[in-house]
Amino acid sequence: MDFTASLALIAPEILLSVSGLVLLLAGAWMGDGASRLVSYAAVAVLAVCAFMVAPALCSGAMGPDTVAFGGQFRADAFASFAKLLIYAAGGAALLVAPAFFERHGAMRAEYPVLVLFAVLGMGLMVSAGDLLTLYIGLELNSLSAYVLAAFLRTDERSAEAGLKYFVLGALASGILLFGMSLTYGFTGTTTFEGIRTALSGGLSTGALFGVIFMLAGLAFKIAAVPFHMWTPDVYEGAPTPVTTFFATAPKVAAVGLTMRVAMDAFGKQESAWQQVIIFAALASIVVGALGAIGQVNIKRLLAYSSINNVGFILIGLAAATQAGASAMLVYLSIYVAMSVGGFVAVLMLKDADGEAVEAIADIAGLSRTQPLLALCLAAVMFSLAGIPPLFGFWGKFVVFQAAVQADMIALAAIGIAASVIGAFYYLKIVKIMYFDEPVNKVHGKSDWIHWALLAVSAIFISPLGYLLTRWLGSLADKAAAALLFAA
Amino acid sequence: MVDLSQYLPILIFMGIALALSAAFILLPMGVARLTGAHKPDAEKLSEYECGFPAFEDPRSQFDVRFYLVAILFIIFDLEAAFLFPWAVSLDLTGWAGWITMMIFLGELVIGYIYAWKKGALEWE
Repeated sequence: MDFTASLALIAPEILLSVSGLVLLLAGAWMGDGASRLVSYAAVAVLAVCAFMVAPALCSGAMGPDTVAFGGQFRADAFASFAKLLIYAAGGAALLVAPAFFERHGAMRAEYPVLVLFAVLGMGLMVSAGDLLTLYIGLELNSLSAYVLAAFLRTDERSAEAGLKYFVLGALASGILLFGMSLTYGFTGTTTFEGIRTALSGGLSTGALFGVIFMLAGLAFKIAAVPFHMWTPDVYEGAPTPVTTFFATAPKVAAVGLTMRVAMDAFGKQESAWQQVIIFAALASIVVGALGAIGQVNIKRLLAYSSINNVGFILIGLAAATQAGASAMLVYLSIYVAMSVGGFVAVLMLKDADGEAVEAIADIAGLSRTQPLLALCLAAVMFSLAGIPPLFGFWGKFVVFQAAVQADMIALAAIGIAASVIGAFYYLKIVKIMYFDEPVNKVHGKSDWIHWALLAVSAIFISPLGYLLTRWLGSLADKAAAALLFAA
Repeated sequence: MVDLSQYLPILIFMGIALALSAAFILLPMGVARLTGAHKPDAEKLSEYECGFPAFEDPRSQFDVRFYLVAILFIIFDLEAAFLFPWAVSLDLTGWAGWITMMIFLGELVIGYIYAWKKGALEWE
């Protein structure tokens, strides 16, 4: 394949990097006063990129026409599906940020630029067809994320979150690199296709170690148990718009990457990684559910909820089938909407001085002071718990269905049992908001953009979302087919 | 079983390197001891570490500007390190390799302009 065709396939990535650089200079010249302008420009860029990747998804693009630069990069339907979710989540993180940071006097033009570069890195991650593309994308995303976590420079918790994320993230990158070097050493190639061919005969002990180390590194990035310990601290400490971003886009990218690595590169050796994924899935569900019970801070609670959700997503991967992959993508789409809704609602909890309210006790009786906000937050909680009329149920349903079809009935049964434990703390929040005595802590008006985003996510996760199941399902099927075709 | 004999050259290389570096350290020490005056004091015996005392409380504060300059230095230092393998393999990578490196350098220049504009290069 010649360069022109390859360059045409990476057009969204080129647009993202060029506009990131242009906006960087624009921000430097126009000063922090232009931050809002730069943010909206970045959202426009993401929208254009979304239109550029959408055709590949709708046509279900797969095969050699989607492979750029000799197998290093793939612009197939799977990558497009993940990228659309990432762009949407990135756009949401950009839209909610100005109002929040301006209140702290900390809105800077670098925020949208960093988000753009992180999104670019995540696009590379889900399109990776080679260990090196994988690593470059991952690092580009991570390095931007470390800075974003510490974006409120004067806030101690934000600085701590950034430092913690950086140290643990560097460790995870090291583990991943070690696994990659072992894999390369025992297969003699860095392309996923080559690794797949090299491992089709059997798995040597050395290559097995490579697989395990790579999975450990990736498990850190998706915050799956036992590599989840950074999540509550980082989610709590990071500024809320950044947490919104962390809980959504990087999660999609890292899960997409894990799917590619597991089903494509190591696709011939399912038995080697299936046990690991099953363990990580069950452990995440249980730890996420139990860990959340004692939390008093709502951001920490949502962090444990995201660990819990990752467990459900991994059940689809444990099935190691096309149906499983498709179910994961459906779950991810719903999860992104639930997370954006949840964190935007948290962002709107402010006291009379405009300071953020994060303690769960302070939202007691919210239904009487802010009925609409309480209703949306309750919808998010019910949806996260997977209670049927809401769309969150559908995600869990397709994932468990895929597991049952793959003869993993025990796994599905344990998952369902653990999701009942999880329902406890989601319902506790609803109970505190609706049945406890009002403490009247939450006041203050919110930006219309916050309301708009909350409304969009609330409608998506409401029973109206079921109108989309057919459409979402067929897109996810196309994407999953492309993932397995590449394999 | 791995045939270890193929690693003989590297073993010899290591041996030579060890002997040579030992000689480079021990020879000047010996010559200095034999020919010069031997009057050690605390300052002379202390390690030289970029002008800082080598051992002190790690919690001491230092100027963050050192860090800023150091990190900018590392970026451009690495850029130079990337240029060497690129330069010697240019006959293989051809125009594609040349254009790629120019794009890379262009991005670095943008970073440099940004750092300059933000005042990261000014000490005061």
